[in-house]
Amino acid sequence: MKLVAVTACPTGIAHTYMAAEKLEKTAKRLGHTIKVETQGAMGIENELTQADVDSADAAIIATDIALENAGRFSRIRKIEVPVQDALKDAEAIFARLKT
Amino acid sequence: MPLEQQFTCPLPNGVHARPASALEEVVRGFNSDVILINQRTSRSANSKSILAIVGADIRHADPVVFKISGPDEKKAMAALTVFLHEKFPHCDQPLASEAKLNGTLHLPPSLLHAGAVVHRGTPVVPGIGHASIVHIGKNRIPATPLRNGLVDSKNEWLRLEAALEKLFENCDVRLSSELSGIERDLLKVHRSIARDVEFRRQLSTEILAHGRLAAEAIASAEKHFSEILAASGSELLCDRVLDIQDVCGQLLHEVYGDKAVKANAGLVADSIVAAESLTPGQFLALDRKFLKGLVLAHASATSHTVILARSFNIPTLAGVENLADINFDGQEAVVDADLGALVTGLTDAARRYYTLEKNRIEARRARLQTLSLHPATTRDCHRLEVAANIATASEAAAAFTAGAEGIGLFRTEMLFLDRESPPGEEEQLAAYREVLVAANGRPVVIRALDIGGDKKPDYLHLPPEENPFLGCRAVRIYPEFESLFRTQIRALVRASAFGKLRVMIPMIATMDEARWIREVITGEQKKCAAENIQFDPAMQVGAMIEVPSAAFLMDGLAGEFDFFSIGSNDLLQYFMAADRMNSRLAALYNPLQPAFLRLLKQIVDAAHARQKEVSLCGEMGGQARFMPLLAGLGVDKISASVPAIAGLKAELAGLTLAGCQELLEQVLTCMNAGEVSARLDEFASRHSPPLIEPELIIVDSDAATKEEAIKQAADQLFVLGRTENSGAVEEAVWQREAVYSTGFGHGFAIPHCKSNAVRFDSLVLLKPRTPIAWNSLDGRPVGVIIMLAIRETNAPLAHMKVFARLARRVMDASFRLQLEQETKPATLCKVLQESLNS
Repeated sequence: MKLVAVTACPTGIAHTYMAAEKLEKTAKRLGHTIKVETQGAMGIENELTQADVDSADAAIIATDIALENAGRFSRIRKIEVPVQDALKDAEAIFARLKT
Repeated sequence: MPLEQQFTCPLPNGVHARPASALEEVVRGFNSDVILINQRTSRSANSKSILAIVGADIRHADPVVFKISGPDEKKAMAALTVFLHEKFPHCDQPLASEAKLNGTLHLPPSLLHAGAVVHRGTPVVPGIGHASIVHIGKNRIPATPLRNGLVDSKNEWLRLEAALEKLFENCDVRLSSELSGIERDLLKVHRSIARDVEFRRQLSTEILAHGRLAAEAIASAEKHFSEILAASGSELLCDRVLDIQDVCGQLLHEVYGDKAVKANAGLVADSIVAAESLTPGQFLALDRKFLKGLVLAHASATSHTVILARSFNIPTLAGVENLADINFDGQEAVVDADLGALVTGLTDAARRYYTLEKNRIEARRARLQTLSLHPATTRDCHRLEVAANIATASEAAAAFTAGAEGIGLFRTEMLFLDRESPPGEEEQLAAYREVLVAANGRPVVIRALDIGGDKKPDYLHLPPEENPFLGCRAVRIYPEFESLFRTQIRALVRASAFGKLRVMIPMIATMDEARWIREVITGEQKKCAAENIQFDPAMQVGAMIEVPSAAFLMDGLAGEFDFFSIGSNDLLQYFMAADRMNSRLAALYNPLQPAFLRLLKQIVDAAHARQKEVSLCGEMGGQARFMPLLAGLGVDKISASVPAIAGLKAELAGLTLAGCQELLEQVLTCMNAGEVSARLDEFASRHSPPLIEPELIIVDSDAATKEEAIKQAADQLFVLGRTENSGAVEEAVWQREAVYSTGFGHGFAIPHCKSNAVRFDSLVLLKPRTPIAWNSLDGRPVGVIIMLAIRETNAPLAHMKVFARLARRVMDASFRLQLEQETKPATLCKVLQESLNS
């Protein structure tokens, strides 16, 4: 699958990036492509364009706080999870997307 | 017909002890009666009694009339008039107030979670003490002593009068010895009470008119004056009640001997003393070896008891609620006068907390101590001598222990003030010698007496001046008191035989003054030579640069003086025409004013051009923030107060001379103080320590809980000077921890915070001996803890990128394995640095 994702944790210092790393690695292992935008203390990095979102099969929204530019994902199939879930069991999230 | 003078009280705090004693001093020497009447309350008072004046309860704006009658009434009135117009409005100086606690400090989570009972209180002397509580009651004066048959009133009064004299004498004797400022103040207050006219009158009336025994008279006087003072509503006056109690206790002792006053049982083991209130006398009677802390229900920063406690570093809390109700006697407790808490019902976790606290404070102290014992050097190996400012010879030894490389300013005024006659040559020689011996070869700069201005010894009878700071001071009045000055110079010349003595002359403004000084010194040296008295012919003589004119005479002055010392306080005042005591002029009395910095540069350059050393001994030198500027200016030596020395050396060690010089060049182009300040802040942020260093890596930690681990990590930041408030960092980390656990699995945790308590972005790695329960995502206990602490700031930070990179790296099993397996801090540091910089 071609996937997009956004991570955003409370302080934006650590978990945002840890979750991004986890999602990227897990996706690679499972044979998916994924582009992960991080919303952290440094602001938005690896920003997803509307084109990125529109051309993807699904989105993983792993956030504990309100998302910036949430409107981008209004029409795409998505899973919304707390950041912890992405860290705890990323594979399960990918599994849910398959169905 | 008595002479009258109308007056309105200008003092915002009314007439309390200090202004009352100033007034009494003025009228004391006249034979006439000087009565004042507070027209608001209709109370009258004998102006020769401090207690009576204070008792008149004169408040701000009260109308007062003075009535003087007697043989010298005209003179008395003249003196009083001058005093009321010139000195009185200024004699209520702001007291050196300790920082008042604004709201209570938050308790760190590790203490909050410890399960002990915490009673909040106001810290008045910082520190932590751990011992058992001992309650001390009031010093009770026996209410009804033995009375057998008729009382011989005359005899009774003679006994009491003799006791008063003895008390007065005792105070005088002790005052003439070397004492700390606090003890001097205390003795002076006791002395003034002992000879107070009103106090005596009260006592004599009780005995002669009412036939009472001495003990009854003393008890009644204590009650009478305590009530007046306590009813005044002024904190200052309430403090004086303790002093009255002390004097009355001493008087009783003097009259009746040891039997009279029930002495409190001495301390026999480490104790925390708890009391409603404590007189200074009671405090001094406690064996300080066992006194670990003090808890008072009532005390203020200005009470003599607190001042004494501070001088002996006894952690003290005041205003602890329920102290009277709950019986703490015998209980184990901790006085935490850093946080403002009395901790009882100690649990293991609480004891453990205070063990960690002890480690934290001790580690920081040891670290500063190590730094402080080395000569102050920049990172690029340039030396800048850091010396100490002292006011009495007894401070010298402590100065050297604190790391002073010499004495940069020994203010000799203290030897000359607050006494009936000037110190003789031998007394001065002894004091100067004491400092030289303590210095053990290090240089000692002694400043000739800087009197006049606001420091006027009575015995010189200096006339009042319109404008004392622009008046006859120091070198300006030496010719008028030539023999006094020569005595000091002779004592200094003789002292030069015992060490590296340098003499410094204050307030030099002209070449004529410089030449006169040289003549006097050379003259005294010649006399000593003729008398075969040892002295150092190479003794250096320097000048304080504080009058701006001297800055423009450096070429000439360099011919007469061997060194220069910038007195930045006065120089700044005179140069910017701003009174440092006037808070409305704070913007002008600011060493960051560009014109002032240019002046300093001019002075330093001119001195160096003629191979003369320049030091700086004002307040500016004691503030680490200004160190980069002073180093950049090329100042050779800084002389500061003893507590500042370790911090200054630490600050210098983090700087390079090249960097400071570059900063100075930039700053000299600035056109206002705001710009200079911004440049200084920018410089400070660029010269922060690295994110990670071996000392931030704690292997083999004994932390057993999450609380302990987070506290240890935060404490390490404090030890290394990366935060001044480890409790606040701890709290911020827990705030994040409360959202959800930072134990993300695999035996790792990554607690973090963003806080304005953090001075420099830091990364702490902590490996506990035994894995700690962390409520992790996968339920596993944690064996590797990486704490990230970031400064609160809106600007994007380079370090954020590093943290983000670290966060990603810990998701890599092989990286985690490395961190788990490595045991040496240096290696772990390298592993972290390499992975973060790639």
